[in-house]
Parts: sequence; structure tokens; C-alpha cells
Amino acid sequence: MAATTGSGVKVPRNFRLLEELEEGQKGVGDGTVSWGLEDDEDMTLTRWTGMIIGPPRTIYENRIYSLKIECGPKYPEAPPFVRFVTKINMNGVNSSNGVVDPRAISVLAKWENSYSIKVVLQELRRLMMSKENMKLPQPPEGQCYSN
Amino acid sequence: MAENGESSGPPRPSRGPAAAQGSAAAPAEPKIIKVTVKTPKEKEEFAVPENSSVQQFKEAISKRFKSQTDQLVLIFAGKILKDQDTLIQHGIHDGLTVHLVIKSQNRPQGQSTQPSNAAGTNTTSASTPRSNSTPISTNSNPFGLGSLGGLAGLSSLGLSSTNFSELQSQMQQQLMASPEMMIQIMENPFVQSMLSNPDLMRQLIMANPQMQQLIQRNPEISHLLNNPDIMRQTLEIARNPAMMQEMMRNQDLALSNLESIPGGYNALRRMYTDIQEPMLNAAQEQFGGNPFASVGSSSSSGEGTQPSRTENRDPLPNPWAPPPATQSSATTSTTTSTGSGSGNSSSNATGNTVAAANYVASIFSTPGMQSLLQQITENPQLIQNMLSAPYMRSMMQSLSQNPDLAQMQNPDTLSAMSNPRAMQALMQIQQGLQTLATEAPGLIPSFTPGPPGSTGSGGPTGPTVSSAAPSETTSPTSESGPNQQFIQQMVQALAGANAPQLPNPEVRFQQQLEQLNAMGFLNREANLQALIATGGDINAAIERLLGSQPS
Repeated sequence: MAATTGSGVKVPRNFRLLEELEEGQKGVGDGTVSWGLEDDEDMTLTRWTGMIIGPPRTIYENRIYSLKIECGPKYPEAPPFVRFVTKINMNGVNSSNGVVDPRAISVLAKWENSYSIKVVLQELRRLMMSKENMKLPQPPEGQCYSN
Repeated sequence: MAENGESSGPPRPSRGPAAAQGSAAAPAEPKIIKVTVKTPKEKEEFAVPENSSVQQFKEAISKRFKSQTDQLVLIFAGKILKDQDTLIQHGIHDGLTVHLVIKSQNRPQGQSTQPSNAAGTNTTSASTPRSNSTPISTNSNPFGLGSLGGLAGLSSLGLSSTNFSELQSQMQQQLMASPEMMIQIMENPFVQSMLSNPDLMRQLIMANPQMQQLIQRNPEISHLLNNPDIMRQTLEIARNPAMMQEMMRNQDLALSNLESIPGGYNALRRMYTDIQEPMLNAAQEQFGGNPFASVGSSSSSGEGTQPSRTENRDPLPNPWAPPPATQSSATTSTTTSTGSGSGNSSSNATGNTVAAANYVASIFSTPGMQSLLQQITENPQLIQNMLSAPYMRSMMQSLSQNPDLAQMQNPDTLSAMSNPRAMQALMQIQQGLQTLATEAPGLIPSFTPGPPGSTGSGGPTGPTVSSAAPSETTSPTSESGPNQQFIQQMVQALAGANAPQLPNPEVRFQQQLEQLNAMGFLNREANLQALIATGGDINAAIERLLGSQPS
């Protein structure tokens, strides 16, 4: 059912999210990001958790970053809210609460409805490997933002 | 409703598919499910009972992936699976994929203990808590980074490599390429404190296997290392990069003087290839060649540490003093007869001042010398390696004993040297002293070299033998009497130097003196001085006399 979005077809939100859930459970992708519902009972499919494995040869290597993703009612037309739970020092991420600034991350700033949670996570991971981020000093491992 | 794991079913994994999983309607029966475990590199399938706990799952995984269970981190649907959870709890069913991250023990993120070696980091946060780890930890560093081992901590901050050996080579390259960085590093108090501990340095150096090989080949190095004085001086020099450059320059120049000896250039070249190659190889393994350079220059540190940290603008030290001592003693390998022969000849030092001056001039014009210099300037590594050669070391020892060099580095001397009028005045004094020497030899105490040569470019110093020298050399930086020293040394130099070659300036210039007299210059003394200064050229002497009259 409407697995591929044609240019004019608007896929209902829940369908999209279900699809993404399935992908998250099946581990589609290269295994460096993972996502799933925060609460399996969540009928609205709004709250998601994501996980990014720090890319090798960067300062993030060997660390696992946990994120919270919130897909609002307008998803996928509107981008989701993304927040790091694990403390991280990275451009575009608010250092006090871990909120990812939608204007700083290109996929969020120029969101397309063909994008997905996977795309967001993978993009964040790719940014970790960028020159400007890959060497930033990081807080000790295991710390989380308080809110 | 009984969709079998084709998970386009309802997203309530706890309810629907779990019950629908088994073909039978008995959810209690533990069904074996196949779960794929995926790492960034590998993928394996595991068959486990569906009600197993995460802990059990991890145990199965650890066998297959050959890791400890506590190294495994399992992630499913964006959540980390804790050991006490069950697979069902997270909704892991047949055919689904779980992500695995294997934490490696050696995490060079600047977090963990030994390998980060943050003892010497310049920079900041993440590694500074570890920077308290004593320098001794660097000894246990299996990679033996040597003198700047502490900088490995920089990995988490400044360099992209987190693998330790990569890091080491990266550091080396970066540091070799960037002297400014080197300077910064040297100025870091941690590094300096580490460097100031000779025992530590020795251990560090010895710990490196290449160094050990080198020591086997050249036992002198081990002597060096074991001598605490030398080590200390070495480290002082190493700490001060300006001083180090200064040292290198001196040594370089001293080396160049070897050119002047007949056959010396060939001997030099041979020495280089014999010694330079293994040194080069070893030094390139070793970080930055620093320990070598400092080792090589250590023996001259006696003179180096005394003078202030000003640049030595003086062109050349005495060409004769170093070669005799070194050529005979230093060569570990191919000492040629020319070497020892030249040693003998140049050990006959008296009266060589002028010859030295000429040699100095000719040295730079030797094409071989120029190519050597060019090579050296193009490849700073070369200098370092050269410096570390054993023969250099003994040469440096003799250089350090050379009082003249110390004198040279006296800042007053230097400023005097660079002032042309001062030089001229000095020359005039010389001439006067020469006259004095010939006319009243009783006034001259003894023979020692002085910084300004007799006739020459003001560079070369005379031969070594000295009695009064120690008193002068012990205080090259003393404010008390640079002038006195000058005069004394000049007197001696002139006396010593001029005795053989200018038996009697009066006699030499007898004819010219008479001419000057006839022209009306009646001041015999002044005439003589002028003639001496101009070397017997009447016209020039006249101009001198005329020029000095109004003043």
C-alpha cells in the first residue's frame, strides 16, 4: 500500500510511520543507525527513539548516541523534532539541551516529504564525520541531558 | 490476523504478532526465532528462543563474535537492550534485525587510561583530567613515543586518528612538518618538566626498540645516555628551540670547516653515508628525531647554555680546533689516513691564524661545501641526523672546549662584530698591538686566540693552546670586562699570530716608511700602523693617514 511515494500521492501519516517502524525493526541500512517507537503502545506513533553509532576515525567513535524524535501531526510534510539524549558536542546541536536546530541541519531545513527518520539519523551521522565536527572535544561518555 | 512475522501487521508487537507467531495458539511455548544481529561490519543470524533474555542472547552472540558479553551493546528500534530485558519485551521477533556494537577495550578517545598518555597535552578539556597521569606512564607506553609521548593525548583533540600507531606516525609527520608546532610543544610546561628529568628521558629513549638497535651499533650513544650531565644539558637545549637551532647551526658550520682539510671533504662524505643512513632510518622511526638531535648536540651544550639566547651572527668558528680532536677520535668507521694526517697537521696550531682566515674564505667558495650547505638547508632532517652521528658528538665536545666559540657568542662580541666601525676600530687596535708586540714583546703575556683574526675577516679564531684562556672562557657572559678580554686576546693572538709571519713590520715596511717620510708624514708610529693596516700599500696607507688626521 503506497510503499513508494509518487510525486503526487500523499501518503497518510500513519502509513508512513508504520513503514518506518518496520524498517527500523528490520534494520534496514548499514546498521549504524537504529530507530523505533519509544513506547510500543503509542498509537499516535509520535514519539520515537533513535540511536546513532559514532562513526569510526572520529571523536565520536565507539560511542552510542541516543536521540528522541518527535513526529508531529503534520509529518511527513513537516520535519520531525529531533533531540539528542546523550550529551554531544556538535555543530547544530544545542549544547544545553541537545535539541537539534532545524535550521542548521540541511535535511531538516529543507525537508522533503520523502525524507524519513532514517534519513535524519543518517544525516546526523554523516555530519559527525565532517571536518568541523569530527574533532570537537566531547563530554565524557554516558552523560545525558537533564530534561 | 495470523500473519506470520511478515510485519506489515499491526504495530502493536506486544499484542498481535506475538500471539500470532506460532502456528499453534500456545504463546507459552518458546518458539525459536531467528534474529539477525548486525554490526557495522558483519551480519549473523541467531536462532534463540523467543522468551530468552537479552543476557542470554548476548551470551550466544559473544561466542559467535568472539567478544566478552560486557563488550556487547545491542540496539533495537533505537533502544539499547538491557541485560535483564527479554527479547519479547522489546518486540524482537522472527526475522528482525538487532544492531550490535562491540566496544573495544582500547579506546583512545582520551577517556581511558594508559594509552592516552595525556601527560604532555597542550590542549584542553577531555584529556586534561588524565594529564595528571605521571610521566612514568609514558614508559609503559608500548609504542614508546619517546620524548613527546605525552602528546598522544592530543589524538582525541587534534588529530583524526584514534588508532594508536596511526596516531604516532601522524604526530611524527605533523611535527616534522611544522616547526611552529614543535616550538609550541616544547614550550608546554608538561613537556618541559618531563624533559627536565634526565632519568625519565633516558628511559623513554631506551624504550624505543629502534633506539636500542642504534645503541647496539653505536655504543657511544649509550654512553651519552648514561651520562646525567650530558643528558641534562641536552634536555635544556631541547627545551629551548632557539638554542637548539643555534646549536645546529654551529655544528653545521664546524662541519663545513672540515672541508678545508685536504681530503677532508671525501672523508666527510664517507662518514655521512656510513653513519647517516642508519641514523636516518632510525630517526625516521623515532619521533621527530628529537632525541637524536639533542643527543648529538649534547656535548656542546657546555658552551651553548652559557650564552644568552641570541642569535649567533658570527659566520664561523675556528676551523682548526675541531678537526684535529675529532678526526682522530671520532670516526667509528672509516677513518682514513687523510683524516689522521690532517689531524696531525692541524694540531700544529701555532701561526695558523692567517691561514685559517684564508681557509675560511675559501671554504664557502668550495662548490662541494656549497652543495652541502644547500642540501642541509633543504633537508632539515639531514641536519638532525648529522648531528646525531657519533663523530659529531666528539667534535662538539672539542668545540665546547674551544674558548673562542664561547667568546663568540657573547652578545657584546656579536654586536661589536656586526658594527663595521667597531670592526675597524678593532683592527686599528690590532695594528697598534701588533706594533706593540714587535716593539715591546715583553708586554705580551702569552699566546691565545682572540676573536678578531689578525688580518682576516674577523671570523676565525686562532689555535687552541691557552693558559689564560680558562679565566676568560669561564665568563663569556660576564659583564665585567668584555673589552679587557678583547684586548687581551687580541694581544695574544696578534703576538702569536704575527710572530711567525710578520717578523718585523718595521722591517717589512721599511721602504714604504721611508717613502712616507719623504712625503711628509713624519709620524712614524702612525705610518707604521697605517702600513700594517693596509698591508704595505702606500696609497691606501696615505689615505688612512689623511683620513685619521682630522679625527
